[in-house]
Amino acid sequence: MAPGAPVNRDVSIVGRQALEGPYVLLTFRHPEVAERARAGQFVMIKANTISEPILRRPFSVMTVAPREGTFTLFVKVVGPGSRGLADLREGETAGCLGPLGRPFPLPPAGHEALLVAGGYGIAPFVLFGEELGRARRRARLFYGGRTVADLQVRAPFAALGIPLACATDDGSFGHHGRVTEAVAAHLDTRPGPVTLYACGPDAMLHAVARLAEERGVPAQVSLDPWMGCGVGTCLGCVVRLRRAGEARPKYHCACTEGPVFDARDVVWA
Amino acid sequence: MKLAVELGGLRLKNPLIAASGTFGYGVEYESILDLSLLGGLVSKGLYLEPRDGCAVPRIVETPSGLLNAIGLQGVGIRAFVREVLPRLARHDTAVIVNVCGDTVEEYAEVARIAETPGVAALEINISCPNVKKGGMTFGGDPRMTHEVVAAVRKATRLPVIPKLSPNVADVTLFARVCEEAGADALSCINTLLGLSIDVERRVPRLAFGTGGLSGPAIRPIAVRMAWQAARAVRIPVIGIGGIAGTEDALEFLVAGCRAVQVGTANFVDPGIYARILDGLEAYLRRHKLESIDDVVGTLRYPADVPEGPGT
Repeated sequence: MAPGAPVNRDVSIVGRQALEGPYVLLTFRHPEVAERARAGQFVMIKANTISEPILRRPFSVMTVAPREGTFTLFVKVVGPGSRGLADLREGETAGCLGPLGRPFPLPPAGHEALLVAGGYGIAPFVLFGEELGRARRRARLFYGGRTVADLQVRAPFAALGIPLACATDDGSFGHHGRVTEAVAAHLDTRPGPVTLYACGPDAMLHAVARLAEERGVPAQVSLDPWMGCGVGTCLGCVVRLRRAGEARPKYHCACTEGPVFDARDVVWA
Repeated sequence: MKLAVELGGLRLKNPLIAASGTFGYGVEYESILDLSLLGGLVSKGLYLEPRDGCAVPRIVETPSGLLNAIGLQGVGIRAFVREVLPRLARHDTAVIVNVCGDTVEEYAEVARIAETPGVAALEINISCPNVKKGGMTFGGDPRMTHEVVAAVRKATRLPVIPKLSPNVADVTLFARVCEEAGADALSCINTLLGLSIDVERRVPRLAFGTGGLSGPAIRPIAVRMAWQAARAVRIPVIGIGGIAGTEDALEFLVAGCRAVQVGTANFVDPGIYARILDGLEAYLRRHKLESIDDVVGTLRYPADVPEGPGT
């Protein structure tokens, strides 16, 4: 097996931290994911205790602890698949393949990384914040949700010394409005060279891509299409990309060529 | 204990084959599992030219199943032979090319190009439900089925394995037509034509509209059709449909299939081959059998089916 390759194994749950509402942090033992996963990569995982739905689901790796051989997922319990994971007990396992996918590339030297997260899309930015810190890149987080209860993962960024600007649709916390408005306001201050990184709902990703184009700044977006296998064989997660010099768009697998793509290449629906 | 099987000139070290469309071109899995565990693998469907496939959404999950309309997105036979085959040569497993075409001539041409060192057999796709031409439209018409199979038969010396559609009233008719046209074995079955509807928007969940249903949901239908086909012809049958574990594979073998293909379960757990191989060995030991062949076609089906009380 190639180094850095994904590894398929049954994993046991070693930690569970309930957050507000439907959110929970789940920690699993998987030494290869713990050692190899980079920010933006994901695992395909499903509790072995449930039969339906039959497929594993992709989850961004939120943090890793290589010494303990564990990784942590930020899970919103919304259906039987996520419920099955959250309800795992000691001795029960989940089938898990990872790490998978193209991670966030570091920004060019001298660039500040502007991280734009929509709700659940915060997950990969904890690991990315750590990577940016190690690479001595400056970073700033813009974190949006419908309401304050959607902004569950703030403490890790304070600990990393990453400035945080929040936005909520209902005005319950931070800027009253879209998170991309907060990003635009920051760009208005002429902050110097920046690279945008976005993970969240499609509408937010599209808005970030438009903003990046208007302001002439590079952007990397983490797409989240429906995904079946995670390794490029089911061809269910394809996204339309039109790369520089190509006459027409082509389908590309989000699982193997993404989920992180250059926003300029994405043909938005 | 002997796990090896022989299928109309195709020798496999064990009866487990990865099904077309669920295993890419094989190389996608080479860093995840040991491909030499597999008796064989069938490539994604290949035409002469690359194809884009259907719009998204292409897959939805249904109870115990998966409904897909991928539309045979693929790299084309030439790119497969040039770029993929050399990589597969490193692995000790039989490579079977799934041959597609919009016309009878295209099937034959793909088959000619596919006859190259490293390819062990050809599976003929006359059963994909997600293309406007070829596929199921050929496999649902006995005359066209005969024509396609005979044309591929003429174009190659490799074992020829038509993959039958379940979307027909009598699968035995098509099994016999394939045998007469010179097929060496049969793959049985492809996906069942299905439709899933988003009732809020009142539109199909798949962009293509209808799709092909796979997964454990179709297994009893697949076992029944493979059993019927195996009784109708002398050539060997490869059972396909919803296999997710040892017992599922054994159902097809007992029903009369000489080998089986694992499809949707590849997406769920790439470790399935090791698991089923262990399970088959344990089964042979437990039943004091020497080989897989001792299991094949051993179904004790009631000769005179009793009817229930009151009839």
